[in-house]
Amino acid sequence: MPVMPRRKRKQFYVRRKVCRFCVDSGLAIDYKDVNTLRQFVTERGKIIPRRISGNCARHQRRVTRAIKQARLLALISYTPTPPPS
Amino acid sequence: MRRYESVWVIHGDLPDEEVKSAIDKFSRIISTHGGMLVGMEEWGRRKLGYKIQGTLRGYYVLADFAGLPATVKELERNYRIDDRIIRYQTVVKSKKVNLEALQAEMAAKAQAAAPAPEPEAAPLKEAAALTPEAAGAEAAPSAEATSPAKED
Repeated sequence: MPVMPRRKRKQFYVRRKVCRFCVDSGLAIDYKDVNTLRQFVTERGKIIPRRISGNCARHQRRVTRAIKQARLLALISYTPTPPPS
Repeated sequence: MRRYESVWVIHGDLPDEEVKSAIDKFSRIISTHGGMLVGMEEWGRRKLGYKIQGTLRGYYVLADFAGLPATVKELERNYRIDDRIIRYQTVVKSKKVNLEALQAEMAAKAQAAAPAPEPEAAPLKEAAALTPEAAGAEAAPSAEATSPAKED
C-alpha cells in the first residue's frame, strides 16, 4: 500500500533571477547614476537585498558601495523625506 | 599618478559669483599641486537628498583629474577649510595613469572645447583599455565607467 503523498501546498514558480549587470556588460554601476541606483533601494531608502534584487555577489557589493557614495553626496536620501511642515 | 574624480557641493544659496570663485579656487588647487585637470562638469544647482547645513540646494561640480595622493590630501584639506563647501567626495578611478594617453585625452578635450564651449563628457575610451585590473580597485566601483553625461 503506497503511502499517501502529503497534500501539496501552493505551487510556486521560482523564476531564477539573474544578475542584470552580468547579463548586460554595458551596464555600469556608478554613484552618479542616480536613476539606476534608485532601482536598488526601497521607498524607505533601504538597500534591496540580493535575495530580491537578484544581483550576483560581486555586483551587489558594487551597487551597495555606489549607493553609499551617492548618499554621502546627498544625491539620494538616507530616509524618506518628511512632509514639509 | 592616479586618476581621480572629485565631486564637491557648494552651498546652493550662494550667489553665482561665489560659486564661480569656489570652482576656480579648487580647480587651481588641483593644477598647482601636481594634478592634471582632464575635465570639469558642472551639474548646477540640484535638490539635495536631505538637508545639509540648513539648506536643501547644492551646486554640484565634478572634476576629473590625474594626480598624486598629496594632491588629493591638499584638495580635501581645503574643502574642509572652505565654508562654502558643504560636501565633497573623491574617488579613485584607476591606480595607474598612462601619461601619453592622458595627454592625448586632454588634447582631445581641449579641441572639443574649442568649437563648442561646453563639451559634454567626451567618451573616455582610454580608461577601459588602460587598467582592466583596476576594476577591483578599492575606491572605484567600476574603473571602466565612462562617465555618462549627467543631465538631471
